[in-house]
Amino acid sequence: MIKKPNLNKLSGIFILWYREILMYVRNRIKFFSSIFLPILFLIFFGTGLKTIFPLVTLPYDFAEFFFPGILGLSVTTMALSSTMSIVWDREFGFLKEILVSPVPRSHIALGKILGAATTGLIEGFLLLLAAPYLGINFSLKLFLGGLAIIFLIAYGMASLGICLTARMKRTESFSFILQLIIAPMVFLSGAFFPINNSPAWMVNLSKYNPLTYGINSLRWVVLSQTLKPTIISQLTTNNFITSLGILISFDILITVLAIQLFRKMC
Amino acid sequence: MNGEIEEIIQVENLRKKYGAIKAVDGISFTVKRGEIFGFLGPNGAGKTTTINILCTLNQPSSGVVYINNYNVVAHPDKVRSFIGLVFQDVTLDDHLTAEENLYLHAMLYGISRKDFTQRKIEVLKICELWDWRKHKVHDFSGGMKRRLEIARSLIAQPKILFLDEPTIGLDPQTRKKVWDYIFNIRKKKDITIFLTTQYLNEAESCDRVAIIDHGKIIASDTPENLKKMVGGDIITIKTEDNDSAEEEFHQKFPQYNIKKIGKELKIEIDKGNEFLPVLVENLNAKIISMELRRPTLEDVFLELTGRQIRENDNGHIETESPLFDLSSLFTLFNPSHNHDKKTKSQ
Repeated sequence: MIKKPNLNKLSGIFILWYREILMYVRNRIKFFSSIFLPILFLIFFGTGLKTIFPLVTLPYDFAEFFFPGILGLSVTTMALSSTMSIVWDREFGFLKEILVSPVPRSHIALGKILGAATTGLIEGFLLLLAAPYLGINFSLKLFLGGLAIIFLIAYGMASLGICLTARMKRTESFSFILQLIIAPMVFLSGAFFPINNSPAWMVNLSKYNPLTYGINSLRWVVLSQTLKPTIISQLTTNNFITSLGILISFDILITVLAIQLFRKMC
Repeated sequence: MNGEIEEIIQVENLRKKYGAIKAVDGISFTVKRGEIFGFLGPNGAGKTTTINILCTLNQPSSGVVYINNYNVVAHPDKVRSFIGLVFQDVTLDDHLTAEENLYLHAMLYGISRKDFTQRKIEVLKICELWDWRKHKVHDFSGGMKRRLEIARSLIAQPKILFLDEPTIGLDPQTRKKVWDYIFNIRKKKDITIFLTTQYLNEAESCDRVAIIDHGKIIASDTPENLKKMVGGDIITIKTEDNDSAEEEFHQKFPQYNIKKIGKELKIEIDKGNEFLPVLVENLNAKIISMELRRPTLEDVFLELTGRQIRENDNGHIETESPLFDLSSLFTLFNPSHNHDKKTKSQ
């Protein structure tokens, strides 16, 4: 009974999360395309790129390198684009209904972040299920570890999305901004090619890219049973602990920023 | 403790500026518990800005607002917990069903599942949307959406209900239904209703009305008292040449006020029924139609804003149509009124 007011407040986070999930599941086109698009990516892009590499003797299979990258890309895209619902709500009025309710602003922002992160997590989960077919071995522990990293990436990206929505009034302009953000972030993260071998300026830029550490962490976890640590370190810019630490720090910082911006914009 | 103050809404010297534009320019008023208080004014008068500040969605530039003794700037969360709102624009979630929209609202306001199930039935039945509860809002007509929004705003049983143009864009039957509903809930529940409107007949149904124009309250009283400001009766005449008729009237009856409103001449008079035969006898101008009626809030509004227009012009209204031609607005939204006038003129 004493905790009742707290429970009430948390129910605000829950209900906003719930609505986000409801919207995701209801929107069948979004739901199915979000599942099939990365699979298409894996099949065509992955197979296509593989044909370039057979001459090079790599100590790892191309799919093993490529899979965590696609995973990171899909999760990022999904989480970021889910935050578009805020812009959508503003454009079509529902945001007002939320804003005049007694739910605190910070809880609204958290509910939205968690909702968008969950959509990213669902996508990552489904992709991860496909991993064994690409020759990536899994234990349950690794699977869960992978999911945890996916969630951390999705969460950070969702928070970043909330920050981006701060001044957006139209969904069209937001989707434009999203593409502008996602493309450089993914290219500079080492998702498609090992960033280690790139020119120095790219390496330097990638250090400021939060997604770099997300992809690093993913590679360390997802590939840990398939490849030797020395080989994984060739594919990543930092060791696991550093990468994970930076990823978590980013998540915390961006959450604070997102809540601040959300408070201001309303 | 402070829950039972008489004045549930207190507004003092409220101002809101957007750059150089003063959307709300120093208004003060109070609303008593249990009242239906109407904010009447043309588009852009500052009605929505005021309502947004009152319900914590917008910050005032200066001035203080107390809702149920809570300052809206200092305690927005508190204020939000006991107000209900129906906005001018639809704020429903199109993707969800009527029931889900109500459920979301109940959750946002921390209503228990048991209470929700009970109230849901009540509000959906009163708004006649029970059969539609499982349908997506996307398929609803404008009137149904509005009814659902009113139903939704009542789920949390607010102390004050804010309605921003609650019946805009609705057909006359639905508007009547919405009003019946508003009266009904006011009677049943201990609720105060603050609404904005540009429909004069709706303002007449309020307990008290504030007339707002250019961000200022120009009059505030009961509809009856406001109408007394205009005086006894209104005679409107239509002649073949209004200009010369007006001139003639001025010469013959300099003691009375005549104004040109659109294509009609309007005379304010104490005993209209006695003056009518005198007028017909003495006026040489050819009269096309004549109407004697009690003043409405429309006349009050014209009287008040008309005075402002005339300030630059030595007592004459400019020949151009008035800035806010509320009479035409009235007929536009209320075809039956237009019809009445026509039949009378025949």
